Amino acid sequence: MSTVLTQGIINVTSDCRACDHCTSICPTGAISGLLGQRHKIDHNLCINCGQCLINCPFGRIEDASMVDLVKKALADPSKFVIVQEAPAVRVALGEEFGLEPGTNVKNKMYAALRRLGFKKVYDTEFTADLTIMEEGTELIGRVYGALGVKGYENKGPLPQFTSCCPAWIKYAEDKYPKIIPYLSTAKSPQQMFGAISKTYLPTKLNVNPANIYSVSVMPCTAKKAECNRPEFISSGYQDVDAVITTRELAALIKEKGIDFNKLPAEEADKFIGASTGAATIFGVSGGVMEAALRTAYEILSGSTLDEVDLKAVRGLQSVREASVEIPVKALGKALPVNVAIVTGTKHVDKLIEDVLAGRSKYHFIEVMNCPGGCINGGGQPIRREMH
Amino acid sequence: MVVGSPSEEKCIRREIKMKFFGEREGMTRRQFFKGAGMLTVSAIFLGAFSKLGFDAFAASTDYIEKRAAGLYALDEKMAIRKSHENPEIAQIYKDFLSPGEVKPVSEKAHHLLHTKYGKDIPNFITELKSKQNEAA
Ligand code: SF4
Ligand code: SF4
Ligand code: SF4
Repeated sequence: MSTVLTQGIINVTSDCRACDHCTSICPTGAISGLLGQRHKIDHNLCINCGQCLINCPFGRIEDASMVDLVKKALADPSKFVIVQEAPAVRVALGEEFGLEPGTNVKNKMYAALRRLGFKKVYDTEFTADLTIMEEGTELIGRVYGALGVKGYENKGPLPQFTSCCPAWIKYAEDKYPKIIPYLSTAKSPQQMFGAISKTYLPTKLNVNPANIYSVSVMPCTAKKAECNRPEFISSGYQDVDAVITTRELAALIKEKGIDFNKLPAEEADKFIGASTGAATIFGVSGGVMEAALRTAYEILSGSTLDEVDLKAVRGLQSVREASVEIPVKALGKALPVNVAIVTGTKHVDKLIEDVLAGRSKYHFIEVMNCPGGCINGGGQPIRREMH
Repeated sequence: MVVGSPSEEKCIRREIKMKFFGEREGMTRRQFFKGAGMLTVSAIFLGAFSKLGFDAFAASTDYIEKRAAGLYALDEKMAIRKSHENPEIAQIYKDFLSPGEVKPVSEKAHHLLHTKYGKDIPNFITELKSKQNEAA
């Protein structure tokens, strides 16, 4: 038995081969060990990202599981068990059933979740859109504040950093407490979903919020730690009750004997299940930025953005930057918005140091811990094929 | 103080059994090594391994690119591609977060959708709990 808290999610097993590969993967230096000796993780430094886990060539790193909690809830008739799934899950889950990486299986995924016994199947993409509304409004407030627009005082400093990656958040809290005022106060889509699943949803469905059990399927191991953080109780309950990974969902589907590839295409349930293309790309590095720019442009300019594909922010390089001119109707002038995208937490240090030294030219910085974004998260199917 | 450190009693939400994943299907590298019986740790092995680590990286960007392409393709296929045009987003603001209008960061939105970090968390929790007691 091990106690899962807000850290200590990731552990090295006793039969570690001591090959030392994980130490080169870890973004924080949390994992270490002498040659020939079992490696160990310092859980104060570890940000729960699971990159070591998916890259250990011997599979000797494991994440704590909440699968038994989910099974127990599903078997309990007094519980109204509902589920959300992150964008990145839908393009990787199929790999566990013989499909190519990138195959979109979202409609089969919804069908599988219903067959596993979830009463309602929603989508984290809904709260990804909600994140854009909240985080985008916050950013506009900070930009107006910096320009001295009346009514926007004390909106917080620039640049604003994204806050949807819990590994990045823990890294910032642990290593750079001075950067905290620059973090968006918007919760991650997972935690927004949890909060509304026990407040707004019960008003629509006429269910007692005390009976709702809110489950999350994530490409991510850090999300397991996030849901257990003690502050995520704004609904009056623990907002998200349990998190399982893409891998764990695949295992549940197999265990139940569901023939995944033969499932019909189904849709998400209504009220908190609708999504957009902007929400879908949250799963890839640069996606949150692109989604935010699509909305910020239209809201600030009052006109339609014709070229929706903002290719300048796409790519897999660890640090990317772009500048976007937005005609701001309320100010009667165009505003250059400078953005940066970081994928891989180890690459963020320089940008943070520039911000703290007052030399940063950016307005908005997206940080995702996992190289490439959540599509390559620590909870995704493991690909260790020999080439 | 590290937020959520094991010594913090109140952070202990529940006991969860550690569960280890079974072996994956197909020929993974782990199984390959098992099959090849290359299990002893040695300096020679370490040398051989760095090379494999490099291969693994080459293979790794390939699947990352495919998953990324999958998401971008799905985005292009979606009927609505901007967050503020999601009809259920307008509905949650009008019906619940900012009754009658779409107003992000309304009082309710602020309470349910925003958070605090680091050393501000203990006070934030106290605040949330007192709000809940008031409501009760
Ligand atoms: S990569 Fe895996 S086997 Fe190698 S040292 Fe790290 S935990 Fe042990
Ligand atoms: S989970 Fe992430 S931070 Fe923790 S030891 Fe593994 S790679 Fe390092
Ligand atoms: S990048 Fe995504 S998958 Fe990786 S730790 Fe952050 S939220 Fe989790």
